[in-house]
Amino acid sequence: MTARLIMKLRVEKLSYSTPDVIHLKLVHPLRPALPEWSAGAHVDMRLPDGRVRQYSLCGDPADTARYEIAIKREANGRGGSVWAHQTLREGCEVHISAPRNNLPLASDGERYVLIAGGIGITPLLAMARSLKRSGKAFTLHYCAKSRSEAPLLAELAQVCGDDLQCWFSKQGERFDPALIGPHSPGTHVYICGPQRLLDAVQSSLSGWSEEQIHCEHFQMTMDENFKPEPFEATVASTGQRILVPADKSLLDVLREHDFPLPSSCEIGVCGSCECGYRDGIVLHRDKVLPTSRRQDRLMLCVSRARVSVTLEL
Amino acid sequence: MNMHSPGRPPPKMIEAFAHPAGSVAVAKDGGATQWRGVLLHIHIAPGASYEMEELAEAECVTGRGIVGDRYYNGFGTYSPKPDVREVTLIEQEALDALSRNDPPLQEGSITLKPSDHRRNLTVQGVPLNHLVGRRFRVGDVILRGGRLNFPCKYLEELLGLPVFLPLYNRSGLNCGIERGGIIRPGDEIELLST
Repeated sequence: MTARLIMKLRVEKLSYSTPDVIHLKLVHPLRPALPEWSAGAHVDMRLPDGRVRQYSLCGDPADTARYEIAIKREANGRGGSVWAHQTLREGCEVHISAPRNNLPLASDGERYVLIAGGIGITPLLAMARSLKRSGKAFTLHYCAKSRSEAPLLAELAQVCGDDLQCWFSKQGERFDPALIGPHSPGTHVYICGPQRLLDAVQSSLSGWSEEQIHCEHFQMTMDENFKPEPFEATVASTGQRILVPADKSLLDVLREHDFPLPSSCEIGVCGSCECGYRDGIVLHRDKVLPTSRRQDRLMLCVSRARVSVTLEL
Repeated sequence: MNMHSPGRPPPKMIEAFAHPAGSVAVAKDGGATQWRGVLLHIHIAPGASYEMEELAEAECVTGRGIVGDRYYNGFGTYSPKPDVREVTLIEQEALDALSRNDPPLQEGSITLKPSDHRRNLTVQGVPLNHLVGRRFRVGDVILRGGRLNFPCKYLEELLGLPVFLPLYNRSGLNCGIERGGIIRPGDEIELLST
């Protein structure tokens, strides 16, 4: 578990990057410096009704005075973006957690290929800033419907210069994953955007190792055919045995038994509720843990077990 | 944890002198008596993990806590576990020692600001470790020492500072409120006879 401080920040500046994307600059009303972060990090925004939404930081990691996020209005989304668009104005207070990075830049790369679709550009803009500053070779492929519907395009053009390649579908342009080039050990590929973009790029990188391909997931992509079954969880420290019924998550049931546990997205993408386990066959279902850590770590919000599991809370 | 669950019952508190630590100490004499202290800062947080906010005055409610604080509302990290948490105190002297790296447990000194340690009251000249099972006055409010506070890994993670070991045995005092009222920085603190 990693606890993160929640701060009441002020909207210093709100601008429309495209007609349906707001770009927010957030500052602390009292502290001159915010907790540090690195490119790829996101923050949680707490909505007044208690829901939590994640947004990637798109500003400059070297600017400790403010956080920048961009929010696309998703009329059919889970409600966070509509709330933000309707409610937030300059001067408003927003409840924001300290950043967490589930998509860090590999420090040892020789070449970086960044591929963004639409609002997925946000973490990759921060990465472009970092890569530019450290003098690393990179190319940023940006897929959007059109120039006027491409969020943060002006900032990108300024940061990337000739390292930016745009693909506007309304002009008949399509990004071809072949442009990533042949496999080379020092190359890292970062993809953030809609699932079909992730799928298209990943399927074209079949010979590459898992450590070289980095994806941001902000959508639950669960198998709708998954049928949850009840199972028994044993708490290693106390010996307590708790039945998890089919219609409840491990996280919910543990909270009912008075375990104060952190969580955020509760859809297996943020990593807040990570927990150790042993003695059990776990059905992971999350999008955070790499294969290498799944043998003894799970996500309480979505992971389940066959028959039984022992938890190290 | 949803901070906004409607109709959530108030948190369960163990009465300070009924806590196992407090109930043993209250029946015994001893401890420092000739002291007089002062309240330096009051901080509350609206919910678990929220940054602490400094107050110029605060209302203490018997059996409950400081109005607006996460433990008053039952939204604290440890609220699901009934305990003595109406008001928590820490000594400025302990924070000063950390800033001197005394004892030298870490690579260097640690600056733990009153807004960061997550106890409600920062006090000076008050021997908190002697106040388990004792009544004392902060301004017009009367507190009862229930149990010594214990450092937690949660704080270490939240701050990103290795404070767990340096706070050992000087992490403060968890108190119940015997008589409520308004407190302000500058209020005098003194021991009351039981």
